[in-house]
Amino acid sequence: MSSNQSNTQNGSEQKGKGSESAQTSLLKKTETITPEFESSIVNQLVTRFTDKIVQVVYVRPGRTKILVPPNQIVQVARFLKDNLEFDHAESVSGTDYPKDNQIEVIYHLSSYSDEKLSSHVLALSTRVDRNDARLPTLIDVFKSTEYHERETFEMLGVYFEGHPRNERFLLPEDWADIPPLRKEFRIKGR
Amino acid sequence: MENLDQKFNETIKMGLEIVKETEEDRLMTLSVGPQHPGSGHFRFTIKVDGDYVVYCDPDPGYVHRGEEKMCEYRNFIQNIPHLERPVIHDSTNITYSYSLAVEELANIQVPIRGQYIRALASELNRQVYTLYWLGIYGIFLGHSTMFMWPVGDRELFIDLLEALTGARVTHAFNIPGGVRNDMPEGFKDRCLSQVAYFEKRLDEYEDIFYNNPLFRQRTEGVGILTKEDAIKLGVTGSVLRASGIPFDVRKAEPYDIYNEVDFKVQYMKTCDSFARSMVPFLDMRESCQIIRQLLDKMPQSGEVRAKLQPNPKGPVGESYKRVESGRGALGYYIVSDGTPKPYRVKLSVGSFRNILALPHLLIGSKLADMPSIYWSLNYWPVEADR
Amino acid sequence: MATAPKDFRFGNFVGSLIQLIFWILIIVTLVGLPLIFIILFYVPLPPVNGEVLTPYLFFSMMVDPTRTIPIINFMIHTDMFRVAVFPGFSYAALLAAATIFIERKFLAKMQLRIGPLYAGKIEGILQLIADGLKLISKEIIVPSGADKLIFWTAPVAFVVTAAAVVSLIPAAPGWVVADLDVGIIAVFAFLGFFPLIALLFSWASNSKYPFIGGMRALHQMIAFEIPFILSALPVVILAGSLNLTDMANAQYSYWFVFFLPISAFVFYISSLAELERIPFDLPEAESEIVAGWLTETSGMIYGLIQLGTYVKLYALAGLFVILFLGGWAGPQIFPEEIMPGYTGEKIYNATTVNAVFWFTLKSLGMIMLILLPRGINPRIRIDILLHTGWYKLIVLAFINIFVALLLVYGGVLGPGGLLST
Repeated sequence: MSSNQSNTQNGSEQKGKGSESAQTSLLKKTETITPEFESSIVNQLVTRFTDKIVQVVYVRPGRTKILVPPNQIVQVARFLKDNLEFDHAESVSGTDYPKDNQIEVIYHLSSYSDEKLSSHVLALSTRVDRNDARLPTLIDVFKSTEYHERETFEMLGVYFEGHPRNERFLLPEDWADIPPLRKEFRIKGR
Repeated sequence: MENLDQKFNETIKMGLEIVKETEEDRLMTLSVGPQHPGSGHFRFTIKVDGDYVVYCDPDPGYVHRGEEKMCEYRNFIQNIPHLERPVIHDSTNITYSYSLAVEELANIQVPIRGQYIRALASELNRQVYTLYWLGIYGIFLGHSTMFMWPVGDRELFIDLLEALTGARVTHAFNIPGGVRNDMPEGFKDRCLSQVAYFEKRLDEYEDIFYNNPLFRQRTEGVGILTKEDAIKLGVTGSVLRASGIPFDVRKAEPYDIYNEVDFKVQYMKTCDSFARSMVPFLDMRESCQIIRQLLDKMPQSGEVRAKLQPNPKGPVGESYKRVESGRGALGYYIVSDGTPKPYRVKLSVGSFRNILALPHLLIGSKLADMPSIYWSLNYWPVEADR
Repeated sequence: MATAPKDFRFGNFVGSLIQLIFWILIIVTLVGLPLIFIILFYVPLPPVNGEVLTPYLFFSMMVDPTRTIPIINFMIHTDMFRVAVFPGFSYAALLAAATIFIERKFLAKMQLRIGPLYAGKIEGILQLIADGLKLISKEIIVPSGADKLIFWTAPVAFVVTAAAVVSLIPAAPGWVVADLDVGIIAVFAFLGFFPLIALLFSWASNSKYPFIGGMRALHQMIAFEIPFILSALPVVILAGSLNLTDMANAQYSYWFVFFLPISAFVFYISSLAELERIPFDLPEAESEIVAGWLTETSGMIYGLIQLGTYVKLYALAGLFVILFLGGWAGPQIFPEEIMPGYTGEKIYNATTVNAVFWFTLKSLGMIMLILLPRGINPRIRIDILLHTGWYKLIVLAFINIFVALLLVYGGVLGPGGLLST
């Protein structure tokens, strides 16, 4: 664990600068043109939950990103599924921000049942502490996240509580290194 | 005496346990792959009770290359050649959405002719992929002619793509800002004549493969993925359209010039393996139409590629773009931190999403249906592993 | 492409040839000739022209070819010749080899490709020999935990059983290894060994996929055994005999396929299943169970089983010809005499040659018909297969039994019938 810690610091020193600026500006960025349909979705979310819980990162034509705290993600996801017709996850990915000491997990949600939403992808993101990365699983809400969450677990070391199998999926069974998509994991010779 | 009773009880216990074990022993565990002719670079463990599959656990990762990690070490342009490795048969489509995402990040405008050529290459490559897929499906069903014919006709499109891009399989043709080079002279006529020939061949395919009673027996009513399940499992591409949902990224969210092309989204409502094998075939017909229209509507001359900085970089931000590949929606989620190298690249590929349906469909089906279900999911193991 | 080595000299080449001939001559005179004398001394030879044949006389035959004819005549009527050459194993193996070649080229043409091309220069005619050499030179891997005795004997038993079936098939009038009165029953009895061998071999391999394949083979062959026998029954009724030669003779003027088309169809389908050919190659379904009961075979064990399969293919094609296509019946196309005016003892018999010609031709046609479904059909599923065997084919087979009975009792065909010869 101690070696991991030192790795973390090294990694954050190397990659940190860009990531922090990326994050802050992302949060502050406001689009000049806010499309109507997309903002109506966001408004529904914000009125259902407060804007303390649902932070709107950006609203673009066809793409929306919201940021919610980890303990609220299941409720938001359930609301998205039941009331807004988002019925499946296209991908689950994680981004490591060593400078903020956080991992961002992003669910790209979309819809097949609602035709208006078919061109729309909503990014439901949350941020967890990267030293103790734990998230409630969304497998009960979106069954389609099952393998994506397993992949995120092994690639970024985010433990999904309640997921039936937090196991190796793509990596070899005898993988004994840190999760490879964390920034302190360096490819040899690079 | 007491001892004897105890022993007797113990034996009964042991006997009972033995009975329990034999119940378990009815199941035979089969490891399908990675050295199995019916698996590809992929393994799934199944347990069979007699002829019925009762358990299935997919285990991909035999060809995991860490594409996403590799992307973080190269700049936006350098990423293109290695990003098409996961699915070399559909290499134009897998770089297509990457280019779109980078264009959105760096705010690059693609010239109209470039957009047309890009869409044309994408359609040709979709044919190449689908023909290859169809051929393998034939092998999986034990139909060797069904392998030879599509793989032979695939050469037509490979030759076209070779003339267009300069490479036979891995083209690296799409780049952010357009395509690498313009169409060669006389390409339009050549393309039209080969497409016309191919459409005739498609009729023969339908007669010989799809109307074959044995093919129908193998696939009809096998592996039914209902509409609700398809939505729940989040499958995509032909698997989704075979379950009665007319979703196609080209239609739902037209990228480049696809809103100027007139085509139908082919879908079927029977939800079985036959529908899943028929939808890509119908898509091939539609693709032929699209290729014709693209060649017709294309501006005769002009730039094919926007002028780029030597090392293009966008502002801090992120984008998620998807295209319709041979296996369904293929999305790229790219986070940029303002440097010429992406901060994080995530591929959301159709294969990886469709594989969730494999245990769902396989459990309860017969062992003999395994190949026809597995390959109808339009799964490309290398792409799923990335 | 073959190129001459750099230091090639024509003189050296000729010299080496002469050296070769010299050594051959030396070895023949010192070893070959004494060996021939010893053999001829012990082998009983027929009297020729009233003289007892001695080794010295035998060599004088070489000078006068007409004197050789009685010996050849004597030789080709021995049992050994029948078993080993014609219509026994060599003939069957030759046809099997032809079958493999035809299958490859025929399938290739169907699939718009070329097929074997390089081995043997002409259309890859030596491809089979190349394959055989490769198989012989390969290591035979015996799985750990395999039952070694059965594992080694089963492939041999497979070939032997196939050859045993061949020995019952007459190829011309009087040309049969074993002319049994219960010919057709013996054929089915021998065919009944195959599922047993497949199951034993799959069990002996101690592996999962062979086991599933062996069980499938057993299911499939038992399911198709009954329609198989039932479809041959009307022929027995019409011919009034169980002897295969009698059956062929009974349809000298009218082939039974015209009276019993459904039986012929059932027989054809059943033999496809019996031969494990596509669409009935479930015991070897590669995409499901790797190679079925052949998964653990390697090297010549696989080669032997393949040889057995193709010999069996010839046997069943020949049986179809005997039962439904009139055997060797056909118009006389060979002349009665090839050397008019020659009065000595003859080997050439126009009737026999004609019979062999027509039988071989029909058998090859039948083999083609058995090969054909491979190019146009996918593999069938096991439950559909069993359903076809147990429900459909048995019922179909019964139809023609009644037709045959009607024909016999109506006095149209059968012993003493209107149309029978």
